[in-house]
Amino acid sequence: MTSDSVAQTMPQIQLLVVQPTPFCNIDCRYCYLPDRSNKSVVAEETLRNLFSQVFASGWAQEGLSVVWHAGEPMVLPIAFYRRAFALIDGLKPTGLAVRHSFQTNGTLIDDAWCDFVAEAAINIGVSIDGPQRLHDRNRVTRTGRGTFGKAVAGVRHLRQHGVPFHVISVLTPESLAAPREMFDFYLAEGIEHVCFNVEESEGDHRSASFAEAGIEDAYYRFLSEFWRLSAAHPGRIQFIREIDDAQRNVIRPRDATFFNQLATPFAITSMDWTGNIATFSPELLGLKSPLYDDFVLGNINRDRLVQLAERPLLKRMRDDIDAGIALCRESCEYFSVCGGGEPVNKLFENGSFATAETTYCRMTKMRATDLVLDRLERIPGFVEGREAALPSGSASPVL
Amino acid sequence: MSLRLKYQTILTRLAPAGAVGVSLALGAASPAAASEPPTGAQPSVTEKEKVSERLAAVRDAVTALDQTRADAAKAEGRLAWGNWGWRGGGGWGWPNWNNWHNWNNWGNWFRNW
Repeated sequence: MTSDSVAQTMPQIQLLVVQPTPFCNIDCRYCYLPDRSNKSVVAEETLRNLFSQVFASGWAQEGLSVVWHAGEPMVLPIAFYRRAFALIDGLKPTGLAVRHSFQTNGTLIDDAWCDFVAEAAINIGVSIDGPQRLHDRNRVTRTGRGTFGKAVAGVRHLRQHGVPFHVISVLTPESLAAPREMFDFYLAEGIEHVCFNVEESEGDHRSASFAEAGIEDAYYRFLSEFWRLSAAHPGRIQFIREIDDAQRNVIRPRDATFFNQLATPFAITSMDWTGNIATFSPELLGLKSPLYDDFVLGNINRDRLVQLAERPLLKRMRDDIDAGIALCRESCEYFSVCGGGEPVNKLFENGSFATAETTYCRMTKMRATDLVLDRLERIPGFVEGREAALPSGSASPVL
Repeated sequence: MSLRLKYQTILTRLAPAGAVGVSLALGAASPAAASEPPTGAQPSVTEKEKVSERLAAVRDAVTALDQTRADAAKAEGRLAWGNWGWRGGGGWGWPNWNNWHNWNNWGNWFRNW
């Protein structure tokens, strides 16, 4: 899609990332959020300005996911969210589906939170990096103590209350070498939905993982073994985001095109606690950039949301992102599975949006795609092009 | 035999198991970790083809299967594909919503249905 065609199309917000507070009660070693000791809280008036304008804009006609994140959302009291959700419900058009989500470190989850999460049907994602020896390497308090005990207690609370949740685990060189240990941990804790992030370079954080020789092959082997273990234990791990995404992006009809939400203006819209608005990769909001005015398009307390689409800064960013996508389209064998990659990774790995390949995309897009293609080609009968028995353990449809 | 027909043969076998069944089959096709070489050293059964050609062949195979199934279903007066998920009905929703990696899309499947 060209810049001109984007400009002529009304934006559609699919994901609204709201920072209720920049504060986080822990201090992960790989965290890129620069303001995580700031205990400020978003004002109710700022939320009112945001949601009233989002709903009035017509930019959220197909339903809206709201993720409360970029600070630990549960450091604020439940009463804060009761008021916020009531405010949003009062503003939203009849019939529009709004779904709230928290991405949390899990350390503050207790019975009261579980009751509220169930009552408000909040999607919960818990950040936990695997068993204690791996989790506590990076997910620590400000005094350097591990947070595993509290995080896993939070997961157990959710399970005891029957609250569905997923886990996001950041993979490091140590965990990439331990797929069996990671798998056993998820099984032992009854974790059924897993997502893997890699420790990446963003903001001031420089990834130690990306500097490791052989990290891409390590990622491939990790996913491969984790997938094999899951297939050998049907029904235990119900969802592996990286595998599901890769399969969906590879095994699809010819006419299905990839929609790159991260490169589409306002598809993901982010607001920090002060009301500053940004788009494209949510991580951009809060990071510094003289070139792009710290990625801030405007402030919802001063500006009209619909006018932000016309800001010169947005055009400048979009032009550079589009130039990067064009490079990907021209040069990358994998373009059809990712649609041009992730702007934030291009900027912080290569120094510009207007670039192509990153270590991030080699790991998470290319190697995952290789894995699915390799597995397809290892199904018995592929080489001969004849029907053959499927691998054991794979005969029963589960859906 | 063309690459597309090879994929089509495999997918014809796998598709009736649905999206989860396909994932189990592909997962089970993985060699054990200890015996797996790095990707660069891995012998590929299609090493003459570029990745883009392999991807295009898979999609051509899916499209051909889709058409075959649709024709058969139409003749029999039933829905095509059942729970095979590439049309967004039962596993791999499409289009791809929420590809931000700090979030995931399982909680957002309600959009696709």
